[in-house]
Formats: sequence, C-alpha cells, structure tokens
Amino acid sequence: MASEDIFQTEYSEEPELEVEQRMETEPLDAAEAEDETEDVNPTEDTTPPENAAAEKPVATKSAADHEPEAKLTQLPLGRVRNIMKLDPDMHVATHEAVFAVTKAVELFIASLARESYTYTAQSKKKTVQKRDVELAISAVDSLMFLDGAMNF
Amino acid sequence: MVERIEDLNLPNAVIARLIKEALPDGANVSKEARAAIARAASVFTIFVTSSSTALAHKQNHKTITAKDIMQTLTELDFESFVPSLSQDLEVYRKVVKDKKDSKASKKDASGAADVSASGSGATEEAL
Repeated sequence: MASEDIFQTEYSEEPELEVEQRMETEPLDAAEAEDETEDVNPTEDTTPPENAAAEKPVATKSAADHEPEAKLTQLPLGRVRNIMKLDPDMHVATHEAVFAVTKAVELFIASLARESYTYTAQSKKKTVQKRDVELAISAVDSLMFLDGAMNF
Repeated sequence: MVERIEDLNLPNAVIARLIKEALPDGANVSKEARAAIARAASVFTIFVTSSSTALAHKQNHKTITAKDIMQTLTELDFESFVPSLSQDLEVYRKVVKDKKDSKASKKDASGAADVSASGSGATEEAL
C-alpha cells in the first residue's frame, strides 16, 4: 500500500527528464566531480552526452537518430544484458526486453532512493545512510526479494 | 561477453546520478548507501530476468519480449512502473524505426559507408 504511493510518483517526470538531462549532464557532472569520489570512471557517462551536444549545432535533426540508446537510457544496455545473461535459463531476450529491463532498473533505483530518503528525513538528516536503505527494504512488501540477497 | 567481473556491476557514476535526481535538492547519499542501492539494482535485474524467463517458459516460448517484462513487473508488484515503461518503449520503438529508415534512405542516396557515423557533416564535406 504505502509502497505504491511512493513508487507511483515517478512516471510523470520521466519524459522531461530525458530532455533536460541532455542539457544538464555537463554542468551536473562538473558538480559531481567536485563533491566526491563518485566519478571514478567519468568517461563512461560523460562521453555520450558530449557527443550528442557536439553534434547538435551541426545537425539538430539527425543528432536525434544517431545514438538512441545513449539518450533514452542512462544505464548502459550492454551491462544490463550481461547481468540478465547470468540467468542460465535465459536463452534469448529481444532488444526491447533489454531496454524495458534497463528502464525498469532506473525506475527501481529512483524509487528505492526516495523510499530510503523518507527514513533519512524522519531522523532529521540530509545524508542517506545504509541503514535507511535497509529500513526501506524491510518496510516495502515488493522489496522482500532483496532480503538475504543484500549481505555479501 | 563478460570479460571482467566488474562488467556485472552497474556503473557507479550513473547510479549516483539517478539517485541524486530522485532526491530533493540538498540531500546526499553515503558511499555505503549508494553501494547498497547499486547491489539492490543488480539483484532486481536478476530477479526480473528469472521471473520473466519462468513466465516465458510457462507460455512455451523461449524469447523474452518487452511484453513478458511488463507482465512480470505487474506480477512482482511493480505495476506502477508499467505506464512509464510503456511510454518509454514507444519512444524507443520510434527511435529504432527512424534510425532504420534513415539508414536505409542514406544507403539509397549515396552508398557511402561512413554516413551513419558523422551525419550531415559528411554530406557537407561531400559537396
């Protein structure tokens, strides 16, 4: 019940996010680089947006159809496919299926972050701690599958 | 194929950005919390995959489609993801189709192998 409320807030903002992201990526990355170690491999996610931005003035229209994946998902499709392939029973998955899983994982990360943050806010803090994530996992029914998979 | 074990992790920087975008301004995430969310995301991927594999097997098909994923998400109580995903999928299909179409038309027009790489820049040079 409670979980649904939080999980539902997502999709209204998704489409604009994609558009905004193009413009925001560079300043955002610069800001991230300053504030902590999260940019261990910055090349990985700065390159595609830079390419897109570089192409844009030259060919506004055709830039859109060059690298669809780079624009539509933030997580790399190939990486998600590799994880999917860990399942020995999985034979073939269509590109669309991999895309759908990738998008679902992105939504999942956002919802888990938001869910965790409610516990952070409850204890009047600004920084999400591991404890908040664990509390979120044990509180939400649909996250039950994570119990026991998290301690390694 | 998977060459290094790190290839099975989702990229940290992207995870960090996704989390940051989801949280209100001024909120931060500790390193351990981010690692936990990243691990949860990997487990979620495997969970969704194995559930949809099971679903596909039950329906006697081997190839997992986007439809299987949607159905699986609904069964796993993530039906709130579905409307947004359907929208994204439509966009994806359109982009893939446009890409195919423009590739085909470019091939017809010039037959040059490098057009797809550099777009209209190449046509300008050609002129």
